[in-house]
Amino acid sequence: MENIDLLLHGFTIAITLPHLALMVIGVLLGILVGVLPGLGAPNGVSLLLPLTFGMQPVSAIILLSSMYWGALFGGSVTSILFNIPGEPSSVATTFDGYPMARDGRPTTALATAFGSAAFGALVGVILITFLASWVAKVALAFGPAEYFAVYFLAFASFVGMGGAPPAKTIVALAIGFAIAAIGIDTVSGSVRLTMGIDELVKGVNFVVAVMGLFGIGELLIAVEEEFHARAVSSKIEWREVFRALGRLPWHGVALLRSAAIGCWMGITPGGPTAASFMSYGIAKRFSSRGKHFGTGEVEGVIAPETADHAAGTSALLPMLSLGIPGSATAAVMMGGLMIWGLNPGPMLFIDQKDFVWGLIASMYVGNIVAVVLVLLTVPVFAALMRIPFVIIAPLIVIICAVGAYSVSNSYLDVILMLGFGVVGYLFKKLSYPLAPLVLAIVIGDKAEDAFRQSMLMSKGSLGIFFANRLVTSLVVGGVALLLLPLVLQVVRMLRGTAPDQAKPEEMRIT
Amino acid sequence: MNITSRLLLSTAAILLAGAAPACAAWQPQKPIEFVATAGPGGGTDNLARAVQNIVTKYKLTDQPVVVVNKAGGSGAEGYVYGKASAGDPYKVIFGTSNAWQQPLVSKVAFNYTDLTPIAAMAQDEFLLWVKQDAPYKTATDFLKAAASGDFKMGGAQSKDTDEVLTRLIEKAAHVKFTYIPFKSGAEAAVQLAGGHIDSHVNNPSESLGQWRGGTQRPLCAFSPKRLPQGPKITATEGWSDIPTCVEQGLAISQYEQPRTVWLPGKVSADQTAFYQDLMKKVQATPEWKDYIEKSSQVDTFLSGDAFDKFIKEDLEHLKQVAAEQGWLVK
Amino acid sequence: MISRRVLEVSTAALTGSFGLAVAVSSIENGIGWSTAGVDSGTFPFLAGVIIVLGSLYNFGRGALTGAAVVVSRSDLRRIAALFVPAAIFIGVIPAIGMYLASAGYMFGVLALPKHQSLLRSLIIAALTPVALYVVFERLFLVTLPHGALAAALGF
Repeated sequence: MENIDLLLHGFTIAITLPHLALMVIGVLLGILVGVLPGLGAPNGVSLLLPLTFGMQPVSAIILLSSMYWGALFGGSVTSILFNIPGEPSSVATTFDGYPMARDGRPTTALATAFGSAAFGALVGVILITFLASWVAKVALAFGPAEYFAVYFLAFASFVGMGGAPPAKTIVALAIGFAIAAIGIDTVSGSVRLTMGIDELVKGVNFVVAVMGLFGIGELLIAVEEEFHARAVSSKIEWREVFRALGRLPWHGVALLRSAAIGCWMGITPGGPTAASFMSYGIAKRFSSRGKHFGTGEVEGVIAPETADHAAGTSALLPMLSLGIPGSATAAVMMGGLMIWGLNPGPMLFIDQKDFVWGLIASMYVGNIVAVVLVLLTVPVFAALMRIPFVIIAPLIVIICAVGAYSVSNSYLDVILMLGFGVVGYLFKKLSYPLAPLVLAIVIGDKAEDAFRQSMLMSKGSLGIFFANRLVTSLVVGGVALLLLPLVLQVVRMLRGTAPDQAKPEEMRIT
Repeated sequence: MNITSRLLLSTAAILLAGAAPACAAWQPQKPIEFVATAGPGGGTDNLARAVQNIVTKYKLTDQPVVVVNKAGGSGAEGYVYGKASAGDPYKVIFGTSNAWQQPLVSKVAFNYTDLTPIAAMAQDEFLLWVKQDAPYKTATDFLKAAASGDFKMGGAQSKDTDEVLTRLIEKAAHVKFTYIPFKSGAEAAVQLAGGHIDSHVNNPSESLGQWRGGTQRPLCAFSPKRLPQGPKITATEGWSDIPTCVEQGLAISQYEQPRTVWLPGKVSADQTAFYQDLMKKVQATPEWKDYIEKSSQVDTFLSGDAFDKFIKEDLEHLKQVAAEQGWLVK
Repeated sequence: MISRRVLEVSTAALTGSFGLAVAVSSIENGIGWSTAGVDSGTFPFLAGVIIVLGSLYNFGRGALTGAAVVVSRSDLRRIAALFVPAAIFIGVIPAIGMYLASAGYMFGVLALPKHQSLLRSLIIAALTPVALYVVFERLFLVTLPHGALAAALGF
């Protein structure tokens, strides 16, 4: 295999003392920006960018991509400990990660999250190593209709599950869509739903909504229920870290399935956020312990984390091979490539072999460095749970306020964040589901854009969603996922079992 | 990072203290914010960062410069922010022609008159692109086929520069396109590579990698004369080998997008002069030449009356297209 | 203190009025679906209508639920103890800036209810803005709001 030779050559570039040092620096800075909500990998990368102008391109990209790995890992920390997702793609991690931490198992939750994230990243890198050119071709097959079908698939795998009352689920979902539509519309260029507030032309940022809904909302629930995190033992629990890692292989099926979903969504335009939601939704449906999801189930952490990192890693490939950034961070890095005098695109793999393979090799090494460093921090982060509630609560309020402000230096965002906090409390109290709301905020406008672009192309006909095999199978898959719970219920009724008593085994067979 | 920046600052301060003439007009006393009306990695963001880099490197001011992205609402967020910061000379807004185009076609809460124009630096050229394996060798072939077929033209945003140019082509060549707006030119380029659209009118830098990689190729340039000779892009061709559209019988002799720099409204003439001077100094550096070449733009500098005149002319142009298309906001 | 019925009904009223505002303001953008594509108001309008219908249903269901108390007086007091200072903190940011506001907020919630000793409260309150300054303003070059007060003093 030619690729293996190239990869080995890449390792000789990546594993040098200066490059390893750059990786450590990048990862540590990345963990910091990932942990702080509001600051994300794009901030960190754009900040470091000017410092890299004097560097060799391969050193520069190693520094920046290491920061990206660090931020991906760091984003899960606040999701698990405080129910505040630092990045859009770690929202799904809160669903089971936070209950685990609250029940006194923050170490297990963090170690599981990091371990499965590392696995996902590894699968993503292997995919890039061996299937780079094939992957690039697959991505090109996606036009607006296919984009829409992918988003539809992500929605279908996620809505309709969970025990919330259907009317409340629908209201939550529709509110998410409406919020996503605020601001300037790409397809028509017109301003929508700003309700007389000029500044809303920029739209409602996802991070602002999520910090209010989850962070502040959860805080209000916790204080009302007089809920204080169960005392965490003060010993540093190294054994628990290793035990959690050692248990991961028992969830092999979940790991592989989530990695596959993640890679697929990373290559196709779905991206890490849709991947993590979809992976969680599917895991909940197919896992034997699906019923316990949402109460602190290990697989509920494994599924989104693995998919998130598999997608985040494989999303770098379209950037290199096609010149389309898969994420905001990738966009900044692409700006960097141009400044370093490289042109992302199909020729990069031929013209700049050292650069490309040095980068790919550094993904292996960088992720190992990242997971080691981040595991070392687990006891430190777990110790945060021991800070008394009276101190941590105002600190969370301050962090959310600063985080909301730093998204786009706007005070309006801070006020919106507080408003979302009240909504989050009410919704949680009255069992309106938050997950569909958040999913709609994140991918609602993208789905709408893709749909309307398709309608422009087809002159208003829905036939475009059945125009070729790819889009048809995506749409059919989505419809099937949407109908699955209904079908299962009918099957159970025919068998004469009440749905509540259905055994998990049955679910797997059907 | 912290230490280096402080080091740089103190050296800068020492240098300036020694060099600055006593009668210096307005000088900034606080950190300066560069507001890019585009997301990280976008053309306008690259410009803001290139300028930041040069200002810092040559210590053109003794205050630190921070780049902030306000890309929401196709850049409207940045302009609205500029409008709200009236009188604050520490916010420099980097944009494009959408500063005056956007208010014309959508109900955004600003107009370019709310801002103080500093300069237009660098013009982006436009070209007509088709898929590599498309049967058309020239723009003439392409337009002939478009006249009888249902062709899809992709572009960045709606009712913005790309769509205006598309409508101008329609008028000049008596054809009709279905215009599909995407978020960015890069997205349109990928859609063209995948064969989902038939053409787009990207800037050179947006499709450079795609051309070199053999997924798409330019047919003609919307420019009065051929683009400057640079290094070869593909094995056989460089930018100067691409004919102008006029050569190919498509009568649009010039269409360019300027990168523009603004201050908020209600700033003093001293402050405006300071930044105009700053931008001129930036433009004289070799790093600027390098940036212009790498991003395949054209070096220009318009300020004062020349800039005003440019805006007025461009507005007239746009008003005509917008009126014909029924885009004007009531 | 607050019954489930009141909470359900008022939440439904809240979502319903949001839905109504969305639907009405979408009509301005145009709602339609033709060979020229889908108008920009169409989907927000649909979303608005769905929110209104769903909220009406939830309103009806809510009105029929029992009057059992879900938020007791002491619950409410605890919530207020968290929310009111937080709202004040956010409210005063434009006037006195993030740094003073966060220090005052920390000190207020720790020292006034006597959760912590005066000295510890003071230390924590002083450390908070310092940490914010170092991380955001110095390390990541994010300027936090300094407030009208700082501007008046010439910072």
